[in-house]
Amino acid sequence: MASSRGTAMAIGAPIRRRRAHGFSAWCEQNLKWLLVAPAIILILALTIYPLFFSIWVAFVNYDFSIPGHDFVGLQNFERVIADPVARSSVGVTILFTVANVSIEFLAGLGLALAMTRTFRGRGTIMAVLIVPLFISPVIVGQFWALLLQQPFGPTNYILSRLLGHDVQIGWLTEAPWNFIAIILADVWQWTPFVFVILLAGLTAIPPNLYEAAELDGVSAWQAFWSITVPQLMPMILLAVTFRLLDAVKIFDVIFMITGGGPGTRTYTSSFYLYQIGFQQFHLSQATAGSWIFLALIAVVIMALVRRLLKAERTQ
Amino acid sequence: MSEPLRQRRRARRRRAPIGSYIFVGLYLIFLLTPLYWMAITSIKPTDDYMAIPPVWFPSHPTLAHFTGALFTYRGLQGLWNSLIISSATTVLSALIGTMMAYSLARFRTGGEHLAFWVLSQRFLPPVAIILPLFLLYRFLHLNDTYIGLILAYTVFTLPLSVWMMYAYFRQMPASMEEAALVDGCSRWQALWQVAVPLAAPGIVAAAVFVFISCWTEFFFAVILSSRNAFTLPTVFRGFLGFQGSQYGESSALSVVSLVPSIVLGMLVQRHLVRGLTLGAVRG
Repeated sequence: MASSRGTAMAIGAPIRRRRAHGFSAWCEQNLKWLLVAPAIILILALTIYPLFFSIWVAFVNYDFSIPGHDFVGLQNFERVIADPVARSSVGVTILFTVANVSIEFLAGLGLALAMTRTFRGRGTIMAVLIVPLFISPVIVGQFWALLLQQPFGPTNYILSRLLGHDVQIGWLTEAPWNFIAIILADVWQWTPFVFVILLAGLTAIPPNLYEAAELDGVSAWQAFWSITVPQLMPMILLAVTFRLLDAVKIFDVIFMITGGGPGTRTYTSSFYLYQIGFQQFHLSQATAGSWIFLALIAVVIMALVRRLLKAERTQ
Repeated sequence: MSEPLRQRRRARRRRAPIGSYIFVGLYLIFLLTPLYWMAITSIKPTDDYMAIPPVWFPSHPTLAHFTGALFTYRGLQGLWNSLIISSATTVLSALIGTMMAYSLARFRTGGEHLAFWVLSQRFLPPVAIILPLFLLYRFLHLNDTYIGLILAYTVFTLPLSVWMMYAYFRQMPASMEEAALVDGCSRWQALWQVAVPLAAPGIVAAAVFVFISCWTEFFFAVILSSRNAFTLPTVFRGFLGFQGSQYGESSALSVVSLVPSIVLGMLVQRHLVRGLTLGAVRG
């Protein structure tokens, strides 16, 4: 087919070109814009328009319990800032983000360093390690809840046997433990993300750097700090940036494991806004809150993405 | 690289400290335990998963929870909805994304700014746009419809498909398309008859990542769908708050849901780094 098309084109080309006028010529000239148009229109319609619309919503009364859309000024923002749950949810979000991303980074780095070496069965282990990336966070939350729940989950039973005395921890309901449960689920799911990116970075480091270091009698520990870390830095930055930007959105696991409880203790920002907006239907308050949330993370995003781009350019 | 050098390199790599084996081993236990427990719970009779001490392997495995999850809890409907919504999104996102990526890579449309504008959409928290989107959908009667979720998912996966394909087209030489242009092809024909077939492996990989993103997505689905267009992950809501009586069904449904996405994931394992970093890292 390819060859017949080639000859047909060569023969038919001049005629086709002369015939091309009017609509098809216009299309050909503006092809580059026609190709990007569907994507841009979709993004404008379903992301940018809602964002602008939400500015209006944030300044009026848009509450399913109160009729009318009166202009209320900054009242919606004031309500969010005055809400102690909103403030604690920011703290909880920061806590989870920092804890999750640092543990995922350390575990991911450890795995990547261990897996750079070739050994028997490496391919199989590699395939197993990336499995969590293809599972819905809802399911991850669900089966961690299954593993940790009281009284039928196996975790307390195993801990009781290991420690030699009866352990009755309410992993899903008691305060420090439910934080650990959520962190476990998030780390379980996203450590492979960091691992995969860092492994790609490690395998790209030219081996002759290590050979030269070995000849110079440099210890493995020194080689790690003077070769591996600086060479890996762009990848570390990339992996951590991606993870941070996703970690602040944490919602699904909270939804499945604690439902924000006990009370509002494990409300993260996303979960808080969901509750306010879609369970209590204070849409304006939730919208104002989402703008505050966006402003808070925009600062972090700007700084990180700029660092990232700079690192990529100097690479 | 000379032969002795390569051998030395291999020798260096083979000397793995015992500590790294232990670490990987422990990590595998951490990784596989929840999966095992979920799989085993899905075939346990109800008495077995409400037992202390826990039953590690059921003596009378049953498939009752699978039929329960699929028929009593509308898992089958969720599965079907997920399949339709994810497939339609995949086609739409891969098509529109490839078109945009081609334009960005070959004609430098909009310079770097347009490309980064699309990328920035990836980092916009869904919670910031879901409220106004919900109101827009209410106005357009798109809440709880296939079309509504398909459009939302297409937008939400565009950064992925555009950037994966952008990276792919940039490393693909333009010489074949140029030859086609010299032969008298229009640019439009050069795109569909030369560039797209050449980029097919990249498009398939991007499409699979789009499919997996939709298949596992929860946040948009839980808000934009309820009785009709609910996807598989939202079915799990129905198992919350029953204190143990539905563990078998929820585990069975988990198995049903994660098998297809894991199988697909394994098929694109080679492209994983590009998929995770939106083409920023070649892998």
